[in-house]
Amino acid sequence: MEGIKGLEKKKINIKNILFSKINRKLTLLFIIVGLIAPSLSIFYFYNVAVSSIPETISVEQSVLLRTVALMIIILIAINTGVIGFFVSKSISKPIKELYSATRQVEKGNYDIELKIKSNDEISELRNAFNRTTTTLGKLEMERKEIDTAKSEFLSITSHELRSPMTPLKAQLQMLGEGYFGKLSKKQKESLGIVVRNADRLDNIIVDFLEISRIEAARLKFNFRETNIVETIKETTRFMEGFAKEKNIELVVDISELPIIEVDPDRVTQVLRNLINNAIKFSNENSKIEINAYTKDQYIWFSVRDYGVGLTYENQLRIFEPFYQVECASRRRHGGTGLGLAICRGIVESQKGKIWVESKYGAGSKFCFTVPLSPVRKIEPIKVLFSKKGTIERKIRDEFKTILGPLGIGEFDELRNKNALGKDDLFEYINSLANLHILTDNLGNEFKNKINKIFGDEKEEFKGDKDMSELNFKDEVVKRN
Amino acid sequence: MDGYKVDPIAKNENKQDETKRKTVLVVDDEPDIRESVKMILEINGLNVITAVDGDDCLNKANEYKPDLILLDIMMPGLPVTEVVKKISNIKIAFMSVVRISDARKRGLCTQGNIVDFFQKPFNVTDLIERVELILNE
Repeated sequence: MEGIKGLEKKKINIKNILFSKINRKLTLLFIIVGLIAPSLSIFYFYNVAVSSIPETISVEQSVLLRTVALMIIILIAINTGVIGFFVSKSISKPIKELYSATRQVEKGNYDIELKIKSNDEISELRNAFNRTTTTLGKLEMERKEIDTAKSEFLSITSHELRSPMTPLKAQLQMLGEGYFGKLSKKQKESLGIVVRNADRLDNIIVDFLEISRIEAARLKFNFRETNIVETIKETTRFMEGFAKEKNIELVVDISELPIIEVDPDRVTQVLRNLINNAIKFSNENSKIEINAYTKDQYIWFSVRDYGVGLTYENQLRIFEPFYQVECASRRRHGGTGLGLAICRGIVESQKGKIWVESKYGAGSKFCFTVPLSPVRKIEPIKVLFSKKGTIERKIRDEFKTILGPLGIGEFDELRNKNALGKDDLFEYINSLANLHILTDNLGNEFKNKINKIFGDEKEEFKGDKDMSELNFKDEVVKRN
Repeated sequence: MDGYKVDPIAKNENKQDETKRKTVLVVDDEPDIRESVKMILEINGLNVITAVDGDDCLNKANEYKPDLILLDIMMPGLPVTEVVKKISNIKIAFMSVVRISDARKRGLCTQGNIVDFFQKPFNVTDLIERVELILNE
């Protein structure tokens, strides 16, 4: 029953029901085979009979003979056809059920159970299938339980970690403000170090709590009608203080944005984080551009800096928790390394996307999208793993698919040269196209697949129009 | 270092007279927090009594009739909503890790005698200033 219920409700197509491909083949085979012997013998009989019968046989009798012979052949044909049909159906039906059930498993429905009632190899196949899906179902449940336990643990631990911070910070503050007597210079210095690190610890714990909430889908949003333009302007004004320290100009360019229902504190949180990073990695006397426009049911934000940019490796891993780009100024600015992971969690909880476009040496553009209508059902977002391995594996598979077995060798070569960034891959594909190793169509397909792997499905490749130009070379940086 | 005896730095001592000393009831299930807040307030010339949970808070409030109650939200025992319902004539300020937006969502901030919300971990100077503001209103 379960198996039948699991079958996809396709359009009831008589042709489909009666004549599946196997059916057609086998039935035809049966008819042909079933007809050969009788046809030959009738033919033989007919010839012998006609030749051995005296000339006096009347026309009617010979017509009758022919008709009978034809009738017999037709009857045999029908007979074998019908038998053949049912026999082949007994094979094709279970195969179809197996196919439907497998499709269900493909979709992740492990409760499928086949009920093929025969007593042969097909029923053995059915049993093996049922056992496999049961095992898969158990594994999936286990995985879910472990996942839940991990999230619960994370959030309880984080909360417990937060509590000691209150008396700790209060006492340190009182010490520092002389509540218990005047402090010597060395005592003040020592206290300063303790306070700084207590703050650092507190920040890490707060960020960690956020991450655990993101992973467990317990992120809290307060949606309300917001004038996004105002939110952006306020955030920019707030960050201007920090930007001034490096004489960096914050340029805001936003078109008409609708008033939408959103959590403005969260938008602010993400924007502040991106602008903060942009300031960190910009040189003095440069500018940071903040853009926002509406497109496709989302508002698209971007924060563009003209700083050092990111290498391919950094671009992939920068959204990982605790991953921080190695650079001298990092030590000075600190930071927990969780900012971008949290941004990613916030954005993706609202079914948005966050990504970076960058060229090493020319700057970076961080972009994220916010839906026009809020997503109220928050799902857990996995932020605690690196996409690098997955992405490399997917690229390797693409190479194998499009270039065949030689593709693997090519992939390895590119990887050794650390040339697996999107730009490098496009260069490589273009070179293959120029050498006519790849057709233009195949080349574009390759590029589309690569885009998809890096998460940029929006950029489609059709023909010669190459829309992935980042134009970093053409930017002229205004200096004050 | 002058040692650990609590030497009151004359912060606001001249403002307080023994007879006019205001009383604050500090309610928190964590002893270190009760102790720390008590220290801060006493050094600034206030009289402090403490309570460990909701029931204790109600008892002490009745007994000592404080001028302000600093109330933690996440405590075992009597839920804080019940505590707040039973006290309508004394000023209450919350002191919690819970964010104010979440407290509002839980309907904790509607009563008229709720005067302020301190987010933990708080800033010592900020706490004192706002508490004094409340007491002098």
